[in-house]
Amino acid sequence: MTRYVLRRLVLAIPTLFGIVVIVFVLVHLAPGSPVSGGGEALRRPTGRAAEELRRLYGLDRPIPERFGAWVSRAVRFDLGESFVDRRPVGERIREALPHTLLLNGVALILALVIAVPLGVVAGGHPEGALDRVSGVALFALYSTPTFWMALLLQSLFSVQLGWLPLYGVASDPAPSGLAGLVDRLAHVALPATCLAYGTLAFVARLVRSGIAETREADYVLAARARGASRRRALWTHAFPNAILPLLTLFGLLLPALLSGSVIVERIFAWPGLGRLFFDSILARDYPVILGLSLLSAVATLGATLVSDIASAAADPRVRDGTAT
Amino acid sequence: MRRAWAAFTVLVLAAACRGRSEAPSARADVARSGTPPSSSTPALAALDAASEGTPVAVDGGTLQRRLLGEPTSLNAVLQTSLPEAQVLQYVQRNLFDFDAALHLVPGLAASMQVSPDGREYVITLRPEAVWEDGKPVTADDAVFTIRKIADPGIPAPVFQSLYDGLERVEALDSRRFRTVFREAYAFREMAFVMPVLPAHRFEGRDFRKAPDNRAPLSSGPYRVAAWKSGESVELARNPAYWGPRGHFDRIVLRIAPDNTTAYRMLLAGDLDEDQMDATLKARAESEPRFSDCCRLVEFYTLDWSYVALNNRSPFFEDARVRRALTMLSDRAAAARDLYRGSARVISGPWAPDSPAYDASLPPLPFDPAAAKALLAEAGWRDSDGDGTLDRDGRKFAFDLTVPAGFETGRQVSEMLAAELAHAGVTARVRTLEWAAFIERVDAGEFEAASLAWSAVDPNPDPYPYWHSSQCPPHGLNNGCYRNPEADRLMEEARRELDPSKRTALFHRLQRIFRDDAPAIFLVNSTQKFGFDRAVRGVTTSPLGLSGIWPGPVGWFMEPIPRASTSVKRPAA
Repeated sequence: MTRYVLRRLVLAIPTLFGIVVIVFVLVHLAPGSPVSGGGEALRRPTGRAAEELRRLYGLDRPIPERFGAWVSRAVRFDLGESFVDRRPVGERIREALPHTLLLNGVALILALVIAVPLGVVAGGHPEGALDRVSGVALFALYSTPTFWMALLLQSLFSVQLGWLPLYGVASDPAPSGLAGLVDRLAHVALPATCLAYGTLAFVARLVRSGIAETREADYVLAARARGASRRRALWTHAFPNAILPLLTLFGLLLPALLSGSVIVERIFAWPGLGRLFFDSILARDYPVILGLSLLSAVATLGATLVSDIASAAADPRVRDGTAT
Repeated sequence: MRRAWAAFTVLVLAAACRGRSEAPSARADVARSGTPPSSSTPALAALDAASEGTPVAVDGGTLQRRLLGEPTSLNAVLQTSLPEAQVLQYVQRNLFDFDAALHLVPGLAASMQVSPDGREYVITLRPEAVWEDGKPVTADDAVFTIRKIADPGIPAPVFQSLYDGLERVEALDSRRFRTVFREAYAFREMAFVMPVLPAHRFEGRDFRKAPDNRAPLSSGPYRVAAWKSGESVELARNPAYWGPRGHFDRIVLRIAPDNTTAYRMLLAGDLDEDQMDATLKARAESEPRFSDCCRLVEFYTLDWSYVALNNRSPFFEDARVRRALTMLSDRAAAARDLYRGSARVISGPWAPDSPAYDASLPPLPFDPAAAKALLAEAGWRDSDGDGTLDRDGRKFAFDLTVPAGFETGRQVSEMLAAELAHAGVTARVRTLEWAAFIERVDAGEFEAASLAWSAVDPNPDPYPYWHSSQCPPHGLNNGCYRNPEADRLMEEARRELDPSKRTALFHRLQRIFRDDAPAIFLVNSTQKFGFDRAVRGVTTSPLGLSGIWPGPVGWFMEPIPRASTSVKRPAA
């Protein structure tokens, strides 16, 4: 097991390096330049001023040299300064990170809390009434565009009913103590729902098909033959086996915690990483784009590693390399 | 203080009071040296004042405004986009400002003297002007700021080009400084519509990273009380302000990037002001929920849109072809159908409210038959009968590039492409993300491009955009229009210090621009805002709401409680 973990760790280094190289090259080869700025610039620097800016941003140096400089700083945990406001990239990420973690964390919990029981129950009676209805409903949910759902939820819960706030992370001024917590949760409810429903549909169908397969397995039949109730056979015997693919999926869901969502964050005026990433791309703010890409690459590799280790711990075939 | 009050009142409330003794002498000086643009009042600009009668300003309350995005820096020299300008207007006074009629009015400066050769400007600061920390605003501060603006190592895109020909700047005493330019320039005084930074706060600090760039020392009626990244900027009164105090106790500028959410925030009372697009305006007009709480303010600005044509391309090097393309475009139909009537067709590179514009010169007519004849005259015929014109074996087919997110521009381009197709000209509408788009346009690497010109100041000087010396890659004459006669007139206009003679030159130029059609000049459209009904004192101007003084600083909240305020207003 230790050897397996070590091997995976060592393999992660070249993967990370590869990701960073590709992102760096793509970002710098893409058309457009940080000098021309965003679309809403009042005046664009031209001529000599534009040249000076290019020099200031280090864009006059060849790409390999810029890459070397960036890597040598990044390994010392220095992501450089934003071109846009000359603040450290780390500081800009730290400001937005808690908002995105809260939003995506709530969304993920919401999705799992609903999806797993729904998937198990639906998978327990394949082609049953619940399975058919939930199948259609989940498919419809999965295909619903986020921006449309966001506007719909706003219309209903904020505009018509007035139950939930329209935008933002907290009221202004924010109440303190328990009322403050309730206020934060009320603000996170709608955007989190928008982010959750797609994942929910996906995870529920995955659990459902896992359960539908394992419920026919010999060991489940054996459990039933020994007198285990239908519910017990499903949850204690079928579920742990059906959940293995979910562990792998987790490796993909966890980094999404950090990735943010441009659309949801824009509509709900949520100051998270998605908006930061999007604005940075529009402004060609290379240091911020690279910092965020590095963050999400590390998160993806880390989560994949954790989920692989969890799979290995749960399934000896993976650990011994005998899995098919 | 009293004097400042009086001066403020006189300057802001009534142009008729201009000559009264309480007014600072600056006004007369400015008028002598310069540019007061034509006094034509745009019809729609009067709308707001007319609907309000004569409001009496009252103090108190909170104003909630919308920012489209996060301000980048609150260092006024480093500002690049509208959100910064919106915040800074409350916090940093300029030396001079434009008023709603686009005249220069004094700000931190009291007066301006120009040497007879038009190269030297001596500016005297107001004695009462102080920073938030109580220190006086000095000539050294102004000299420091101008040197930073002129320093090519400092990214100051909004102001840098105004100081291109700077020879030297020096303090004469604590309140007076002299700026010397290498040559006279007709619109030079607009360079002094610029902020002043407190030199003492930047000593020994990296200018681009000083703490003041996030928390600037105020010289204006408000100071920055809080800046929550990605959420809002909050302003409170600056107790040390030397001028008349602002009406609101508190101003919150909320970052709301999405138009629909911002509209709903306006209806819910979370915003008092919101810039709207044509779609939301149409929605607002039909919704009683909007008229219950809010009102529309719509007015023409100096912005105008056009399709840039690359005059170096084999398609557009011939003026007859460019003129034909304009005549194939039914611009009046675009103004009526795509802009829903909120646009006027233009005949040259200025908006009708610009002092340079000659309203008596009609645009080229929409005349497809005459346009086809012009194309044939220029050698473009359908020789192989495939429906597309050709000349010397080359088909008349080009890319018309549109920046992503510029919805009206895309619609106008699609309409133009359909109109051109009837005449056998193929325009392929291509959308490009903004940064990629503008890089190509600036480099002159395009055939046709849909663009909108947005005015930061009323300077009508066409030289940087249409003079043959300004072709890409170094200048902003993106389509590389070249006409020796137009060049000569543009050079002359830059040197002409007499406003009426200058206007005559611009009118001659406009005729040349119309007939040469260096680009397809389209329309001048309105800006549309939704306002909470309680917000009063709103002045519109051809520079928008924010580009003028006092502009938003003069707004206030109506004191009489409205009937609906006792009930919690239902959101949207």
